[in-house]
Amino acid sequence: MSFEELEHTADLRLRVRGATLDEIFAEAGRAIFQVMYGCCKDRGVERRIEVEAESLDSLLFDYLSELLFITDVENVVFCTFDVNIQGTRLTAVLRGEPLDPARHSGGTLIKGVSYSGLEIRRDEEGYVVEIILDV
Amino acid sequence: MLAGINRVGDLEWEVPIGYVPGMRVPGRFFLSASLAGTLEEGAVRQLANVATMPGIVKYSLAMPDIHWGYGFPIGGVAAFDMTEGVISPGGVGFDINCGVRLITTPLTESDLAGKRRELIERLFAAIPTGVGAKSTLRISNKDLSRVMVEGARWAVERGFGTEADLARCEAEGAMSGADPDAVSSKARQRGVPQLGTLGAGNHFLEVQAVREILDPATAETFGLKEGQVCFMVHCGSRGLGHQVATDHLRTLEAALSKYRIHLPDRQLACAPIDSPEGRGYYGGMVCAANYAWANRQVIMHEARNVFAKMFGLDYDEMRLVYDVAHNVAKFERHEVDGRPVEVCVHRKGATRAFGPKAPEIPHEYAGVGQPVIIPGSMGTPSYLLCGTTTAMQKTWGSTCHGAGRVLSRSKVKKEVLGKEVREQLAGEGILVRAHSDAAIAEEAPQAYKPSQEVVRVVHVLGLSAIVARLEPLGVIKG
Repeated sequence: MSFEELEHTADLRLRVRGATLDEIFAEAGRAIFQVMYGCCKDRGVERRIEVEAESLDSLLFDYLSELLFITDVENVVFCTFDVNIQGTRLTAVLRGEPLDPARHSGGTLIKGVSYSGLEIRRDEEGYVVEIILDV
Repeated sequence: MLAGINRVGDLEWEVPIGYVPGMRVPGRFFLSASLAGTLEEGAVRQLANVATMPGIVKYSLAMPDIHWGYGFPIGGVAAFDMTEGVISPGGVGFDINCGVRLITTPLTESDLAGKRRELIERLFAAIPTGVGAKSTLRISNKDLSRVMVEGARWAVERGFGTEADLARCEAEGAMSGADPDAVSSKARQRGVPQLGTLGAGNHFLEVQAVREILDPATAETFGLKEGQVCFMVHCGSRGLGHQVATDHLRTLEAALSKYRIHLPDRQLACAPIDSPEGRGYYGGMVCAANYAWANRQVIMHEARNVFAKMFGLDYDEMRLVYDVAHNVAKFERHEVDGRPVEVCVHRKGATRAFGPKAPEIPHEYAGVGQPVIIPGSMGTPSYLLCGTTTAMQKTWGSTCHGAGRVLSRSKVKKEVLGKEVREQLAGEGILVRAHSDAAIAEEAPQAYKPSQEVVRVVHVLGLSAIVARLEPLGVIKG
């Protein structure tokens, strides 16, 4: 499970890898929170979400968009993502802490998830996807 | 220049049909030799992708601050036929009606001597900035519905500004056609606590001095004098706009097969302008655009109060020059093959630049064209220009919107430290206040094209004409 930042002039382009679909979704979630807030600790905040879409790519779009929505309205930062995918339906348990401006304001605000090039692929190491995020 | 692109003028380039499969019209962009080195192949491909969209009229265009984004390139402009054409969130972006306003004060630089640090600190304290910032305003869901319909007027009626401000906003600070029912409950939840907040990223409030007047008569019309202190606000529709864009992008993407639209990039997801999905996006986008005008109005009000208290100014002495949107889609009348027709113009990182006598611009500016405000990057000059007849003929009345990035955020953070940037700018007399040095590093001047060159290109081409140059004195950032 890993993510790396790829070159993109104006926005943020991430490549996320995982051995399984559950892993790649969990890692993508971790990646966007890392970008937005830097450090995060599990301090007892827990949230459960369910997302359903018509395809895996759209499921990833909806799931990441849901994470952006939750952090914006609930002022929470997540660090662990326990994701379970059945077909094109996802349940996830998110754990983290309340947003603390003193510790969490060193990152980059993400405005939205782009559909540009959003395609989950399989390769010899597992699953990989590139995501362009508007920052 | 990249392969496959033809030069059609000194500063004008054409991307021929066939550059990507399915192009309906050629692409055109404007760039000088010195800016050409920064052009990414990805940006040109995105310009060409836009040319495949149904009902596009004449050209897929990009301004000299063109760079690689998602969907449309940043700096992209395209007009669509009202019957055959489409509307797309990918041609507007997530930050609907991100825009800029410029306000003059009666102060000169010398009035700020010894007080600049205090001024910047007071502005930083008065205006919520950064990730997670929440407004001190308490508005209800009912208020939000009115904000989305009435835009800046809602703010003025509650004492955040004056009636005169409204005339000096693009669309008088509120586009018609808002449909609050097209705004989800999620978008509303994000919008309620964020009205009057600056946001993060490249958004800012900057105190500036008018350093050079290049067109004295027009500068006088716009109310600018050399040496005068001004301030500029750059921000958009915050979480509400991001959510409206996300929700409708999803709906339009799912409807592509229904309308048999085939696109090279799903981020260009679109629907016929007069379809339920197209009307839904437009109505929601207008709500977000109007929210953004109210947002900039509230922020300007807070800044005016800071200046008024610190320097004993009357509120009315701080005059709004103009407010422009640079991420929006609008129904406008333009001339096509000698006939006036209505088209849906998308501007994504491009500024409207309507020329003299355009009925949409304030009466007091009718003789010179609308003010065009081009913010520089942090530490570099900003410019005030005016719209032109040439822009009406060549670019659907559009021009550039800023400097345009050349370095990614990750690259610039590897090259510079925020603390160094802050100290270097302070050495040049520019105070920067942000929540973190990392936010400063990302927006370091070296991450951007030189604003001088981008503005020179639009001026030489006649897409807008330089009126004045403003230099930064201090800036607050998200």
